[in-house]
Amino acid sequence: MKAEAVCEGIAGAPARDLQIAAAARRGETAAFRELYDAYRDRIWSLVLYSVGDPLQAQDVLQTIFLKAYRGLPGFRGESGLFTWLYRIARNECRNSLRRRPAPHMSLDAILGSRDEIEPAGAADAAETSRLLLRDAVSRLPAKMREVLVLRYVEGLSYDEISRTLGCAPGTVASRLNRALAELGDRLRPLRRAL
Amino acid sequence: MRRHARLRRMFAPYLEGGLPPKEARRVEDHVHSCESCRDELARMGEGLRFARKLARPGSGDAIRPPAFTAPGEEPASLRPPRGGRLRFPASERWDRLTSPATIQTAMALVLIAAAFLAVTGRRSSLGERAARLAKSSGLDVSDYQPTRIPDLPANTRPYIATEGYVREVYLDPVERTLHFKLVEAAHGIGPFVICEILSPAGMAVPSEGSRIRVYGVARFDAQPGRQWYEVNPVLDFLVLKR
Repeated sequence: MKAEAVCEGIAGAPARDLQIAAAARRGETAAFRELYDAYRDRIWSLVLYSVGDPLQAQDVLQTIFLKAYRGLPGFRGESGLFTWLYRIARNECRNSLRRRPAPHMSLDAILGSRDEIEPAGAADAAETSRLLLRDAVSRLPAKMREVLVLRYVEGLSYDEISRTLGCAPGTVASRLNRALAELGDRLRPLRRAL
Repeated sequence: MRRHARLRRMFAPYLEGGLPPKEARRVEDHVHSCESCRDELARMGEGLRFARKLARPGSGDAIRPPAFTAPGEEPASLRPPRGGRLRFPASERWDRLTSPATIQTAMALVLIAAAFLAVTGRRSSLGERAARLAKSSGLDVSDYQPTRIPDLPANTRPYIATEGYVREVYLDPVERTLHFKLVEAAHGIGPFVICEILSPAGMAVPSEGSRIRVYGVARFDAQPGRQWYEVNPVLDFLVLKR
């Protein structure tokens, strides 16, 4: 299912995508469940790496799938379902970031929490690394972040990224270059910790 | 300059080891003689080292995407005003509203309401409302601190009266409580408070989109994943606009 959707041709959506969309349009819950189960984790990657905050990410994910549910009658199969969903997700992530209130800093962050003083265990260290990486990615400009997540989290090829984002492969390559260089610059001070 | 750009597009595939040997050699020859491209490649190499550690958010994460719950289904143990499951808006929740549990609750509600009207023979007046509030909290309507939703964080009084629009009404099948979100603005995003009716069978259900004034106890729910203000319990409410 996933492989099918990712490998969609320029001509349009795989047959299974069209079947799912048609069934979901008829109100068959099982079809929408299949769509949700097939794409939830991949859309979740995009959302979490975009908005950073897992709670906000849950809200955004929910909005994306509700919009998808409502928008299915308009799905014409010109692209695969993943590409279609991904575009909804991109827009929703951007809307969410625009609506986000000004960042606040917790007292712990200002004064230094106990965890920063006490040596962390191995599990804590792994979790910290993951959060630092995710934070650095979420601070990248949206266009760079998208290609980075699609390439290194989702493992899409350059051509697949190009189709998903609707831009030329050369654009994908140059965005990826900038994303990697930027990520390297941002995380270089932490290279010993990561 | 154009040559730089063309070669730089090959940097990421080069670093990933995905270039054919001939192309890889071209990149190497170029960076050998071009300092700015050499620097760029080094920055990207550093970035790639981190990028390869990126992973799809997985089971190690405390917060996961919600599981799909079809209209009418209820997960085994959730109290999910935010997150816990994929929820449908009012228009798509018809199936859930017609589930056996909801129908039973609604029938109980109707029976109780009918019995109440039969006894009193008239609709509840403000005086009766005040009396009911006095009975449930020992206070009169005037003792409830009028508080706007955005002002809740500054409020220090436990008993409040606050107004807003009703959104996302749902019944918690586990706790058998009724929840709804009361929002300041009729449309769009804005401050909200979660309201909880402990005995849904004993109180009318506010309809989504209506504007109501809620009387109840103000609390801050500090549980991880929530961190919001609540009116819990709602002792009574008054419909201002249907």
